[in-house]
Amino acid sequence: MFDAFPFDEWSEDIAEFWTFGGEGSTGTYIMTALGVAAMLISLIGFVWLEQKKLRRQTEMLRASGALERPAVVVTTTTTTIITSD
Amino acid sequence: MISSLFSSWLAQAAPTADELQGQVTLDSQILTEQFYFWTVVIMWLIHAGFMAYEAGAARRKNVMSTAMKNILTIAVVTPTFYYFGWYIYGCFEEGWPKDGHGSPTVEGLEVLAGFCQNTAPWAAQMGPNLQDHVSAVFFLAFLLFSWTTASIMSGALIERVRLSAYLILAVVLGSGVWIMDAAWGWSGGGWLVTRFGFHDAIASLVVHGVAGAFTLGVLLNLGPRIGKYTVDGAARTIRGHNTHLTLLGLMLIFTGFYGFYAACLVIQSTVFPGWLNIYFSPTTLGAIAFVITFGFAGGFTGGWFASKGDPFWTLSGGLAGVISVSAGADVYHPSLAYLLSISGGMLAVYAGTYIEKKLRIDDAVGAVAVHGVCGFYGVFLVGVFAGGYPTGVNNVETSFGGQLMGMLAFLPLAFIPGYVVSWILKKLNLLRVPAEVELEGLDLAEFGQDFFPEFERVPETVIEPDGREVDAAPVLLDAYWQTNGRAETPVGTGERS
Repeated sequence: MFDAFPFDEWSEDIAEFWTFGGEGSTGTYIMTALGVAAMLISLIGFVWLEQKKLRRQTEMLRASGALERPAVVVTTTTTTIITSD
Repeated sequence: MISSLFSSWLAQAAPTADELQGQVTLDSQILTEQFYFWTVVIMWLIHAGFMAYEAGAARRKNVMSTAMKNILTIAVVTPTFYYFGWYIYGCFEEGWPKDGHGSPTVEGLEVLAGFCQNTAPWAAQMGPNLQDHVSAVFFLAFLLFSWTTASIMSGALIERVRLSAYLILAVVLGSGVWIMDAAWGWSGGGWLVTRFGFHDAIASLVVHGVAGAFTLGVLLNLGPRIGKYTVDGAARTIRGHNTHLTLLGLMLIFTGFYGFYAACLVIQSTVFPGWLNIYFSPTTLGAIAFVITFGFAGGFTGGWFASKGDPFWTLSGGLAGVISVSAGADVYHPSLAYLLSISGGMLAVYAGTYIEKKLRIDDAVGAVAVHGVCGFYGVFLVGVFAGGYPTGVNNVETSFGGQLMGMLAFLPLAFIPGYVVSWILKKLNLLRVPAEVELEGLDLAEFGQDFFPEFERVPETVIEPDGREVDAAPVLLDAYWQTNGRAETPVGTGERS
């Protein structure tokens, strides 16, 4: 239809070009497998990194005595806690 | 160069009928492509809204950890939905795919045959494809629905769930559970639709109800925030740090809902003569726009009166009102939508209060009541007020029994995975943050900083069951000690060893 602008012809040239291959190609399967691996590793990474952070913070808080029960005024990093037995 | 191209174009002969037909088809496909693309853009507001809503409902010490949940939802649900979630939708409409990748094979819906194979991540439709203007944007619209299901759960769990535990649960819900129920009851070939005439046009149950039921399962294992309940089991009120932010978030969600509603319709003018709902039954964009707008109006009204003017519940009532009428949004008269949504807004308030005070389940934003209860209520209402409506390509009449069948299928489909996965995480001690971190606030543990450095810290307060506002620190510390330092231990049953 648009003879001066060969969109259809160019489209045919590039229609099946994906980086590393087109539909159902080995390259596509490899990219999918790598993507799934990255997805799984990231999920494990979220758990592992948070576990490290929480453990460190918990140990620090317990060691600080900020959450002990005695009737003293204790200042934590976020709130002032007044306790009594 | 440009001017010569333009001159050549002007000098062309008149196009033939076939060429014109081809051009009309292409224009129609590109219009569809643009339509879904812009619904996706508008639906992003839902997630901006959920982030603001939940961050406002969190105490100052948990603001950023709350917001990060919403942001990282996108990071985990997007790839998982691409790699297996969309495939579930494409292949499980008839339950286990009867004809493998040739599924679904529904009489009257031959246009969908083979949809299954088009949803695999290596399929031509799932990458750059100059011949397909529809599949990619249709996938993206569903992806945004998936984020929404996870975000619905997100708010209920704030201030004590681990970020990583939430993300795992978000994957199970957003890329597994909800999309399975969508395949069964929110697709042209879904077995609940073709056999029972199940009708949930704008996803009262398949998005909201299912997310709410899944969330309930998680909450049972997660337990309440430290100090939420007294030793006698009476509920304290833990106030968020910024109600204005919460209300702004809700307004953003409402805006995004117009995109959500629109994306639930199908339009492809050279294949279908007009707008269709997800079951390929005729409707119009105007019809659903009527219902969503009256749904908000009625929901705000119901929420306001049921809560005696509480701002949070008034706006949540609006959301509940819309959810209550979404299932029948393609067939309800605006006046009917208005009346039903008033009842939905009121129901959310009563259900939320019951869940908090009687069941003693700490749902920080009322998600189970607003989305879960009202999601099921919406499908129930269709059985009552739209019975006889011919649903889907084989025109099975919608009925109360068919709606009940959908509810009975989706309740366990949602609740059991939520409960089981959260139970496993709990047993692995990966569900909840340590009690010490919860008391101090998650932001310092997760990010090492306070996110309002220029504002002076004021003592945190809680509202006792008798209405007194008291300093939170002694209350929370006492609760911490009474629960043996383990938040999952019922309040008042243990002593620190």
